[in-house]
Amino acid sequence: MAATAALSTRLRNRRPALNAFRKAVTRKPGRLIGLGIILFFVLLAICGPWFYGSLAVDPNAIYAAPSADHWLGTDFAGSDVFQEVVVGARYVLSTAALAALFTSVLGITVGLLAGYHRGFLDSALMRVTDFVLTIPGLPLLIILSTVWSFGSPWQMGLVLGLTGWGGVARAVRSQALTLRERGFLEAARGLGLPSRHIIVKELLPNIAPYVAMHLLLSVIAFIGAEVGLFFLGLVPFSSTNWGVMLNQAVFSGGAMNSPDALVYLLSPLVCILLLTLGIVLFLDAIDELFNPRLRERA
Amino acid sequence: MTGFARRLAGKLLAGLVMVWVVVTFTFFLVHALPGKPGDVQYESYIMQGFNPEEARAKVTAVYGFTSHDPLFSQYLGYLGRLLHGDLGQSVYYSGVPVSHLIWSALPWTVLPVLTGLLVSFLIGVIAGVIAAVKRSSRWGGLLSVSGSLVAGVPSFVLALLLLLVFHTEWHLLPDAGTSDITLEPGWSPEYVGSVVQHAVLPVISYALLSYGGWLLAMKSSVITVLGDDFILASELRGLAPVTRARYIGRNAILPLFTVLALSFGIMFAGSFFIEQTFDYPGLGELLLKSIGVRDYPVMAGAFLLITVAIIAANIVADLCYTLIDPRVRR
Repeated sequence: MAATAALSTRLRNRRPALNAFRKAVTRKPGRLIGLGIILFFVLLAICGPWFYGSLAVDPNAIYAAPSADHWLGTDFAGSDVFQEVVVGARYVLSTAALAALFTSVLGITVGLLAGYHRGFLDSALMRVTDFVLTIPGLPLLIILSTVWSFGSPWQMGLVLGLTGWGGVARAVRSQALTLRERGFLEAARGLGLPSRHIIVKELLPNIAPYVAMHLLLSVIAFIGAEVGLFFLGLVPFSSTNWGVMLNQAVFSGGAMNSPDALVYLLSPLVCILLLTLGIVLFLDAIDELFNPRLRERA
Repeated sequence: MTGFARRLAGKLLAGLVMVWVVVTFTFFLVHALPGKPGDVQYESYIMQGFNPEEARAKVTAVYGFTSHDPLFSQYLGYLGRLLHGDLGQSVYYSGVPVSHLIWSALPWTVLPVLTGLLVSFLIGVIAGVIAAVKRSSRWGGLLSVSGSLVAGVPSFVLALLLLLVFHTEWHLLPDAGTSDITLEPGWSPEYVGSVVQHAVLPVISYALLSYGGWLLAMKSSVITVLGDDFILASELRGLAPVTRARYIGRNAILPLFTVLALSFGIMFAGSFFIEQTFDYPGLGELLLKSIGVRDYPVMAGAFLLITVAIIAANIVADLCYTLIDPRVRR
């Protein structure tokens, strides 16, 4: 008992960042709820398709009401809506995760290089960033959808990441610019440490919460964009996901005008709303970690 | 004001360079798209029995360039025609100038977007102040979460939910078009009333879309100002709360002009989601429709216009900022 207590204090001392994170998350119940929602959907995306390998289609039950057999009723073809929602989560979440990965790698690299090195490299990189920020991402995406098929999460994630890294790069750069003048970085430079060490070991950990914040915000936008492309029917459907469901419900299922289809239409909508709510609630905790000024005055 | 003029000139120049970059980008993007629309059309004219010269002349008329020239001279020709405001001709609506299509679609995007921006500005800024002042209370927290949530939810989700509530469930508002199709366009009260009625849902969608941005920006700005020394001083001097509120408001509203540019851009660029949901014939729907039928000149024109609008909004916001805040004017 004593040993575990000692171990846990040692771990706590060794991981101040983790500790602060835990404190920030547990301070308000809303943040825990947010984290819970995110974890729930991540679990759904990972495990869901294991349970429903192939969608059960029941042609005798078209637009059936929710029942014990079909928890959320069925759609226009007799597929179980609950199963569709569960199976569709994987594409939506994996695409958003991949897009976030590409965005953060590109954005952090460009932002750190520009902010730390300044000079010519900085202005060149910022020109490119300005350009990426100016080009309207969504119209570009729908134009590109005529050329590339975004069927796999990798392709969709890559394109979303390529169009969306500007904000992260600019945020990282501004942080790097302010941190650059701080004492500990001057000390590191004075010690003659190589800039790779300074950037990776000194700068990066200090901007991590900030990056996480921007990344979560862009994940929300990515989910909106990818589901939206399917909703508009611009991407050929290879499998089901929430956007495909919405497209079928609104444009071919006539769900807008038939009360039977209400649950079918609402299910993906509520999923998107819930996921956004989860991210927004959780964002509050990260916001506080990074920006202590937002903490309430005692 | 010479500083201002110089700043204006610099901004305009940078904006023009950006427009040129975007034009170039758009041109080469459209030409990188597979299928080479000009060639396809050329071949189809040949198949229809035109002789090569005629077919080529027709393709030139339709696309605004001859697709057998080297790419670079095509590009120069495109630039030259753009300078005269010529965006080429639509392929789908054979022979209709692209600029004509865009001009007729533009008001249906700009007016709802601007109305939505105005409504959301009024509500969002007030809500932002409340959220900042009451940030330690439950209601203040809820208000900020509402802002972040509405800002985060995809526009088509908002639009679909509005449609469900106000059209499907309550039968209050129409779901498509800009007016009742039985009415003759004009200044008759029925027609104007119908237009307003059809515009309500798109305007609410645009307003909701930008409401979160205003609220969050105003909230963080007010919190920053509340920490300033002059607020503490005014508190100590015992100034009336109304005066203090005026001090806070004046200083806190400055950063919102960046949000104005941002949300104008977001709404303009994302308008196709809302327009498609409400079947509203604006610029976004034009872009979507042109993509559906691979009408490349219209596609390039609409994309270009959206981008130029965003660049212009950025410049205007920046200049407003300079005009209002004396500290950045130098």
